[in-house]
Amino acid sequence: MALWLPLAGWTAPLTIFAAASLKPALDDLAAHGALGKPAPRLVYAASSSLARQIEQGAPADVFISADEDWMDDLAKHGEMAAGTRSDLLGNTLVLVAPKTSNVQVDLSQPQTLRRALGMVGRLSIALPQSVPAGRYASQSLHALGLWDSVTGKLAMSRDVRAALELVARGECPLGIVYRSDAISEPRVRVVATFPAASHQPIVYPVAIVRGHDSAASRALLRALKSSKAQVVFRRHGFDTPPR
Amino acid sequence: MDGIFVAGRRALKQNDDNRFGSCFRIYRPMILSQDETIALLLSLQVAAVATVCALPPATACAWLLARRRFLGKPLLETALLLPLILPPVVTGYVLLEVFGHRGAIGRVLDALHISIAFRWTGAALAAGVMAFPLLVVALRTAFESVDRKLEQAAATLGANAWRIFFGIALPLSLRGLVAGVALAFARAFGEFGATITFVSSIPGETRTLPIALYELLETPGGESGALRLTWIAVIVALISTLAAALLLRGPRAREVEP
Repeated sequence: MALWLPLAGWTAPLTIFAAASLKPALDDLAAHGALGKPAPRLVYAASSSLARQIEQGAPADVFISADEDWMDDLAKHGEMAAGTRSDLLGNTLVLVAPKTSNVQVDLSQPQTLRRALGMVGRLSIALPQSVPAGRYASQSLHALGLWDSVTGKLAMSRDVRAALELVARGECPLGIVYRSDAISEPRVRVVATFPAASHQPIVYPVAIVRGHDSAASRALLRALKSSKAQVVFRRHGFDTPPR
Repeated sequence: MDGIFVAGRRALKQNDDNRFGSCFRIYRPMILSQDETIALLLSLQVAAVATVCALPPATACAWLLARRRFLGKPLLETALLLPLILPPVVTGYVLLEVFGHRGAIGRVLDALHISIAFRWTGAALAAGVMAFPLLVVALRTAFESVDRKLEQAAATLGANAWRIFFGIALPLSLRGLVAGVALAFARAFGEFGATITFVSSIPGETRTLPIALYELLETPGGESGALRLTWIAVIVALISTLAAALLLRGPRAREVEP
């Protein structure tokens, strides 16, 4: 039934599989037509989930991961088109609390963190074994000697936006998310920033999926890396990629 | 009750000093890791509690729908189907909204020192809510299959509604009841989306077997662990089906030939 559509000049939209944290920025870009016409389909989930799906042949054209490990994993399995990978963005890891709370936490003093969590409070993070935001959070907590204070008091979510939601609703007194998430959510405030040295560099690599390398995909990649798009990403709290 | 289960799981966490721990040390490398065993036991606990707690209200709803006509009956039927129709994640957010620390009911429960949010009881609530529609449908079908004439005969002989229910309807609908409970237990055991959204993943507290399986699938190299847990889930399903079949053997032996 829809076979006649391409004859009428209709081009199938491209599909971008993007890390969950990119939702506000990419939605913004797509809504303003900055990603070309027709606007690409945007699929958001934890980078781990998306990478697993691409491995199984999910029909993504472009993949933007929130860490290099998942992109490396796909490259190792030959899932990405050669020579199309580059670093798109960076980010910063922050500790957030609900807007209405007035906790103070000094990351160099574990007892301030323990006190802020209280008896029943939990620290909301993404799954630390697989989701990039959870991995960075786990690395930072270990590096700063805070892991022992919070082990057993973690509430782990499927992706960073779900972890953010728990803090935004006031269900968790603290959470570890990206600065871009904190900026996008008016119901949370930043309590502390994790030093970049406490975790592996936060890099968002972008690449075209094998078999989907086309003029349209490359144009989309150029649109994502354009200075106009970078301005929008900056506004949403992302950094330039490290290095 | 909380104590028995928690003590059981703590016994697993303890090292090899106690007898239980030392048996476990032999089994562990052969079958499941400690984390996986804790997830399995937690799932069994959550599903069992969810099913048992859902049974009385589900029975009441099923009886009402099977035997009574009342204003708003279609509304009740629709409301009961909602957990089946809505995406489980949505149900999870609704539970979070109502029963979370900031929720209308959650706040009251916190004041009463009853903990639901981020506790296994919350996982049981999520599993129970998701299994509820299946239980009601199965029980309703079972009640509707009971010949109303028998109930009416009992009424003419002077039995009140409770007597009719426990003496006639319940025994005659036992087959459907057991099947419904087995179905609800299975659904509660396999519950994932609403649970991880409502109470997130907390090892030993809310990380049930489906959540542990999901985490393993997402981790590179976790496929073998995920496969182990899948086999365990299949075995649990087989055992509960066998148990249901065995339970149904009993009433049949006592059936009187007409």
